[in-house]
Amino acid sequence: MNERVIPWQPTVIAGPKQALLVTPETAQMMLQKAKRPLMIIGPLINSSPVQALATKIAERWNIPIVSTGDAFKSLNEAGISSQSYGVVEIINLLKDPDWKGVNNEGQHDLVVFIGVIYYMGSQGLSTLKHFAPHLKTLTLCKFFHSNADASFPNMKDEEWIKYLEKLAE
Amino acid sequence: MVITVAHRPKPKEFKDDFWKSKNINISIGDIVETEQREEAPESMGPTPKPNVTDLRSWDMKLLKRYEPFYAPFCDMCCLCTYGKCDLTGGKKGACGIDIEAQQARTVLLACCIGAAAHSAHARHLLEYLIEKKGADFPLDLGMDIDIEAPIIRTVIGKVPKALGDLREAMDYMEEQNLHLLSSCHTGQEGSSVDFESKAFQAGLMDNLGMEIGDIAQIVALNLPKGDPDAPLVELGMGSIDRDKPVVLCIGHNVSPGAGIIDYLEDQDLEDDVEVCGICCAALDITRYNKNAKVVGPISKQLKFVRSGVADVIVVDEQCVRTDILEEAKKNKAAVIATTDKICLGFPDMTEEDSDKIVKQLVNDEVEGVLILDPDKVGEIATRVAMQIAKDREALKLLPDLDEIQEMAKECTECGWCQRVCPNSQPMMDAVIGAAEGDFSEFQRLYENDVCYTCGRCEQECERDLPLMSMLTKVGEHYVKDERYNIRAGRGPVQDVEIRRVGAPLVLGEIPGVVAFVGCTNYPEGGEDVAKMAEEFLERNYIVIASGCGAMTIGEYRDEEGRTLYERYSGDFDAKGLVNVGSCVSNSHIAGACIKIANIFAKKPLEGNFEEIADYILNRVGACGVAWGAYSQKAAAIATGVNRWGIPVVLGPHGSKYRRLFLGRTDKQETWDLNDLRTGKVIEGEPAPEHLLYAAENREEATVIIAKLCLRPSDTSKGRQIKLNHYIDLHKKYFGTLPEDVYKFVRVEKDIPITHKKEVMDMLEEKGWEPRALPQEPSTMNFREKAEGK
Ligand code: SF4
Ligand code: SF4
Ligand code: SF4
Repeated sequence: MNERVIPWQPTVIAGPKQALLVTPETAQMMLQKAKRPLMIIGPLINSSPVQALATKIAERWNIPIVSTGDAFKSLNEAGISSQSYGVVEIINLLKDPDWKGVNNEGQHDLVVFIGVIYYMGSQGLSTLKHFAPHLKTLTLCKFFHSNADASFPNMKDEEWIKYLEKLAE
Repeated sequence: MVITVAHRPKPKEFKDDFWKSKNINISIGDIVETEQREEAPESMGPTPKPNVTDLRSWDMKLLKRYEPFYAPFCDMCCLCTYGKCDLTGGKKGACGIDIEAQQARTVLLACCIGAAAHSAHARHLLEYLIEKKGADFPLDLGMDIDIEAPIIRTVIGKVPKALGDLREAMDYMEEQNLHLLSSCHTGQEGSSVDFESKAFQAGLMDNLGMEIGDIAQIVALNLPKGDPDAPLVELGMGSIDRDKPVVLCIGHNVSPGAGIIDYLEDQDLEDDVEVCGICCAALDITRYNKNAKVVGPISKQLKFVRSGVADVIVVDEQCVRTDILEEAKKNKAAVIATTDKICLGFPDMTEEDSDKIVKQLVNDEVEGVLILDPDKVGEIATRVAMQIAKDREALKLLPDLDEIQEMAKECTECGWCQRVCPNSQPMMDAVIGAAEGDFSEFQRLYENDVCYTCGRCEQECERDLPLMSMLTKVGEHYVKDERYNIRAGRGPVQDVEIRRVGAPLVLGEIPGVVAFVGCTNYPEGGEDVAKMAEEFLERNYIVIASGCGAMTIGEYRDEEGRTLYERYSGDFDAKGLVNVGSCVSNSHIAGACIKIANIFAKKPLEGNFEEIADYILNRVGACGVAWGAYSQKAAAIATGVNRWGIPVVLGPHGSKYRRLFLGRTDKQETWDLNDLRTGKVIEGEPAPEHLLYAAENREEATVIIAKLCLRPSDTSKGRQIKLNHYIDLHKKYFGTLPEDVYKFVRVEKDIPITHKKEVMDMLEEKGWEPRALPQEPSTMNFREKAEGK
């Protein structure tokens, strides 16, 4: 099996439904198609150049940002505004088809994840896979997330940065 | 007057009710006369010995406000031969179950297992102690504790007076657990919320079982009885004297450890042999005898066994590595299994001649032995340790540093050790560093149990590198001074302490009780727990600790070299750090909250679960933190305390329990309160906002813990104090005023003076209006009242 699409932590495999492997190009198409996307930035990329790259992608595609863990602080210090939620809180809201979204404009239709702790992110993605048929999930971490709808493959930093840069273009 | 009988040969089974109604207790043995034991309560509430469905209406109130949030860990079900069934995309299993109910069923199963583990442990202890001390041995917790069994009183509706009385609660609990387990069978319950209600019942049974177990061992083994000045005892891998024969107890049941200590005392060998423990067995043997030592929490297990320091390993029950024999063989340590829970394939030598058992173990004629008599374990473990210790000294137990460096050069950098690490720790980087003679990453993994030595990486390594031995050696070499002090588990909270803090807690002037419990599945090591404990101690909260959490807190020192146990008193009071004891001592945490309702608010306990839980939910600002929870027991404890109205914060691994209970602040109607004083329904607030929450890191957890201590009963003075901490902590970890603080301001007087201006600005921006403070906030029955019934 292609090592790039064995989930980064192999034991998170949950069943027959696996994420689609995406390239930056497919990810771009998903972003283009989305009407109300949302980006969730977790604390794993606090104080990493990747955080700036992620916010560039959000800016490029005009996506509101939710920060989880304590990611709000480092984003705020970098002058990036985000709304802070616990990762379980935001997932809980996203699974409710009647929730109006972070900007009160309606439930989101695409949720882009980056920087959430792998195994916890995997659990949240599982919630959305099962209980949020109204939206799609895309993960931009350097780890393959089988519980997402679409995920980047397992990559080394160098390739990952290239992937992210393409999305920010 | 009642005739009771010291419990010698096996009692004859009599139909419970008949003998109970006659107040007679008969078994075959010596007849002794005692005063009437069980006290009839003055008033009995509506639900003594509640059956599975009797507290369902309370559960539904909780579940409406704190809806279950499911994160399936597995998309399939493989429980019966119709399966595997694929439950994705809204598909149901062949039996009709859907993914939500399947998650809830799994949670119920975990809670039943947890409750069974605690209660089987309690049953074993109870019968063993009754055999030793007699069924009429009094449940006397000393002068300062009159309400000695708050959970039993509330749930069973009776006040137990002697060891034998605990059997009634035990029987009830066992029957309930059977019904609950039954509903996990294919083709039973189909509703996720009803599964959750059953999980609450299983959690409650767990809490009951823990209380039975701990009270029985406290009174019969004379463990500290709520003593805030319980002695400091030694903790840490470095505290064990390697020059002596070492007996290590792993698990949770105190009896074999107590047997060892008794034997050493009888033979005058206390100074000649080290007795130490890992996990709760360690905490309980140090409650029994302060000279015993605590190696540390469960995360030390593989490291310490690999270090080869233990000559004899005595395992009892729960949280013991199931490959302990294989590990022990690596350094020729002897293994003794001591309970029916863990037999390891060993021959049962309980009835065998002691000399013969010792000989067989010393000469390696058996792999290990099963001995079901704790006193005999005491003798055998000691004698074997004393005989084999000398020979084992010559064994080379761990590789040297230069050998480690050579081994590390074998690494192919395949990366699989990191990928299979459940905690995503960079083991490969540690190995690559070691190959260059740089052991710093190994050292980082070793310290604070950042790596909790689960051993998954080692199994995966394609070069068969002994990663755990390498880690252990680096730790031994570089990490000095692994010697700390921990206050021995004190058991329950005294009534007089409850009288002292009841009012300030309910009014909010003591900002909360924060209890650090559970195991060591920490995302970034144990220091996070100690730092959280320190943060709340400094802020005047009452901090409770138990189990592995209590040990972890003890492994952290300030700059002056003092642990938190040396810096803070053991009082149940503001700035007190209360180590209640082992896993089963967790019962005293819910117990303290129940006692506040009873002693301070005069709520009758017997058969009165819902009123007590309602009181705790709305008026006792307590919050549990299970930062490294991994076990089914932890699932059961948390679910049980949730039903009592106590919120719990889990670490990120807690998301793998599959289910949380989350409130929705945007659904205002779910927060309405009934003011019992006026009978009116009033607009409430999200306090506490969640019942079971998983945080991603310590920073997030610290802030949410402070928030989850808010209660509708806070006076304005109390609310100011609590909001002050919430705002302060939010500023510290998030850099700003919390976005939602306006939701917790009822009147202007609630605003902390130091943050007045910015909070006022926020209130104005939000169009805030003052609202009434409830006088006696309650969640009970308000819907009926609202409908004018
Ligand atoms: S219990 Fe139900 S869902 Fe599970 S395997 Fe059997 S039929 Fe399928
Ligand atoms: S032993 Fe430590 S590094 Fe290895 S997999 Fe377990 S936690 Fe990770
Ligand atoms: S699994 Fe073994 S060979 Fe592979 S990176 Fe880890 S230490 Fe090296």
